[in-house]
Amino acid sequence: MKLDRILDVLERAHTGPVYKEREFNLNVVAQTIAAKVKKFGLANTVDPENPIGSDDDLADRVYQAGFEAAVEIGVLCSDTNRAIRFSAEELQALLDDSPSEFWLGEGDQKVHFRHRGLDDPTPPVWTVPLSIVVSEDIFVDMVHGLAALSTVDCLEGPSLETVYGKPLRSGSPYEHLAGRYQADLMYEGIKRAGRVGMPMDAIGSSTTHYGLLGGYGVEGGYRPKHDLVTILSIGDFWTSYESLFKLTQVYVAGGEHISASTWVMLGGYAGGPEGTAVASVAYTLLMSAVFQGSRAGVPPFDLSYMGNSGDRAQWCLSVSNQAITRNTNLVYHSIANQVAGPGSEMLLYESLVGMTNMAVTGVTNVVGTRSAGGRLTDYLTPLEHQFAGEVFKAAAGMSRAQGNEIVKQFIPKYQDQLVTRPDGQPFQELYDIDTLTPIPEWQAMYDKVKQEAIDAGMPLS
Amino acid sequence: MGKSNDFENLREAILEGDQEAAVAIGHQLVESEASLMEPVNIASDVIREVGDKFGAGEVFLPEMVLAAEAMQGFMDVVTPRLEEEAAGEGAQDRGTVVIGTVQGDIHSIGKNIVATMLSASGYEVVDLGVNVVPMEAIQAAESSGATFIGLSALMTTSMPYQKEVVDLLGELNQRDDFYVIVGGGPVTRDYADDINANGWAADAAAAVQVCDQLSSGSTPPSDTTLVYKAAE
Repeated sequence: MKLDRILDVLERAHTGPVYKEREFNLNVVAQTIAAKVKKFGLANTVDPENPIGSDDDLADRVYQAGFEAAVEIGVLCSDTNRAIRFSAEELQALLDDSPSEFWLGEGDQKVHFRHRGLDDPTPPVWTVPLSIVVSEDIFVDMVHGLAALSTVDCLEGPSLETVYGKPLRSGSPYEHLAGRYQADLMYEGIKRAGRVGMPMDAIGSSTTHYGLLGGYGVEGGYRPKHDLVTILSIGDFWTSYESLFKLTQVYVAGGEHISASTWVMLGGYAGGPEGTAVASVAYTLLMSAVFQGSRAGVPPFDLSYMGNSGDRAQWCLSVSNQAITRNTNLVYHSIANQVAGPGSEMLLYESLVGMTNMAVTGVTNVVGTRSAGGRLTDYLTPLEHQFAGEVFKAAAGMSRAQGNEIVKQFIPKYQDQLVTRPDGQPFQELYDIDTLTPIPEWQAMYDKVKQEAIDAGMPLS
Repeated sequence: MGKSNDFENLREAILEGDQEAAVAIGHQLVESEASLMEPVNIASDVIREVGDKFGAGEVFLPEMVLAAEAMQGFMDVVTPRLEEEAAGEGAQDRGTVVIGTVQGDIHSIGKNIVATMLSASGYEVVDLGVNVVPMEAIQAAESSGATFIGLSALMTTSMPYQKEVVDLLGELNQRDDFYVIVGGGPVTRDYADDINANGWAADAAAAVQVCDQLSSGSTPPSDTTLVYKAAE
C-alpha cells in the first residue's frame, strides 16, 4: 500500500467539489452517464436475445464512455459531501500502477490471481461463499464443507448471525469482537478440511470497519500478507469514512491487498442496461484508483429483482466485463447474483449462466454463490458452490460465441421466475451435517442440471 | 383550456417529471372553482403507475425521482385548498412517517425511494437520514406527531436495531403510539413478524399500500397482526 496515494485520496475527500445528495445523484451521475451513452452511440445496443455478444468495438466504446464518466463523476464521500476526482491523466496513471497479478495464501494453498483476456483458458479463481448469514452453531461445519470442495480456491463468507450467542450489531463492540472470532472459526473449518494456508477475504461478518479493526492484522486474525480486505460502497459512486477507514487500516496493519469491489444498480441513477454498463466500467476504474485495489470490479445488480441472472443484466455484465478486460490489465473481479435458493434447480441454472458469462468475458475472480439472494439465514450449501466452480473453470477457454449459445439456452428456464423465485431449503434440511453430504434429492438436482450443461456443450467432467 | 386538457397535461407533466408544468397546472386548478379531488386522484394514479413501472424495471430511478418531485410540487400548491375540501368531506389525514436507515447502517438508496413514494402519495415524511439510533427515531416520531416509524436496514448486522426500536417502545410504554414499518434487502416478512413490527413491505410501492392499510384500520399497534405486501 502506498501512503502517498492514501494521503492524496484523503486530501481530495476533504477538498474536492461539494455536492448535496440530490444534485450529485441526478445532475452528476444520471446526467453524465446519459450523456456518455448518447455520445458513444450506445443507446438501444442492449441485446437480451444474445446476452454474451462478441462485438469488440461495442466493448471499446463502453470503455471509453466509462473512462470519461469516471473522470467527470468521481466518487462522493458521504461524510464530507465532497467528490474525489482525478483528471484523465491521473486516472490513467493510477490504473497503470495497478497490479496485473498477485498471490494470496500460504504453502500449497497459495493462489495466483492474474489478469485474464477474452476467451482465455487461464484458470480463474473461485472464492466462496458470499457473506450470507449462518447460525453460529453450524458455522464451522459450513466452512469445513465449503473449504473441502475441489473447485474452491479462497474463502470469503459466510457471516455470523450471532457472536458468542449475542446478536451481531453493526457498529457495536460485538462487531469488533466478531472480526477476531470469525477468523478463529474460519481457521478451524479450514483445518478440518485439510487446507491450512488457504487465502481469505476479510471480513464477512462485518460490513463496517469495526470488524476489520478487531480481526485483521491482530494475533490469530486475518493475515495482512496473505488475505484480502474487501471494501464495498454505500451507493453508486459513493464512498464514506467507513470505507476510507478500511483503507487506512490495511496500511496501518502492513497489509498489501484490497478488493475494491462493489455494485451498480441496473435501473438506478445510471438508467438501463447500456448506462449501467458504462457506470460499471466507470465505477470499477474509480474503485481501483481510490482504494489501490489488487482486484477490482463493480458488477450490475438489477433493482427489479435484486440479482443479475436475467437477460438484461447478463448482457450488461458481459459488455462491461469485456470493456474492462480488453482495455486494462486489472485483475478483474465480479459477482454472479443469483436469487433462487439451494435445493432448487433454478439456482443451478442461474449459476450455469452467470459463471459461463464470467469465464468467457475475462473475469479473473468471482465470489459466490449468492444462494437465495443472500436473504435468508442458513440458506446455502456446499453443493451449489461446487457446481458453480466447476462451470467457471470448465468454461475458461470457451469462446464468447460458445458461451452465448449456452446462456441463451438456460436463461429462459428461469427468466420469468426472477421475482417469484423459490427460496429453497436451509443447509440443515439439505445436508447430513455429520458427514457433510447432500441429501439424495439435492444431489439428484445437481446431477440432472450438470448433465443438461454437458449436453449443451459445457466441458464438465 | 378545458378540464380534460388540464388533467391530461397534469398527467403528462408528472410522467415527464416536469415540476414547473405540474406547479403551473396546480395554480390554474386552485384559481378555478372546480373540485381538486379528481386531479389529485389522477396525479396519485400516475405516480402509482410510475412506481409500478419502476418496480418492473420499465422506468429507472432518475425518471421516478423527477416524477415524484413534480407530484410533490403539484401537491404543495393544491394542498391548502384540498385540505379545506377534505375537511368538508370528512376525509382522513394520511399521517406523518418518520423514516430512517437504522444505526450502524449508512445505506440510503432504498430508504430514499420509499420516502419519495410515501411523500408523493400524500404522507408527510420526516427523513432522519442514515445511521439513526433507536431513541432518535422515537423522539423524532414524538416531536413530529408521527403515526408511523419506518426503519430500513440493508445489512443483517443492522437489523437488530429495528428490533431495538420496537422493544424500546414497549419498555417506554409507548408501543401503541406508533406503527413500526420495517424493510430493506435482508429483512424478511418472517423477521418483521418475529420482532413484532406492524408492517413489512418488499418495495416502495408496497410500503405505501402497507401504510394505507394500517392507517385505515383502528387496531392499536400492539394488537395489530403484521400487515405485509410482497412486490407486485
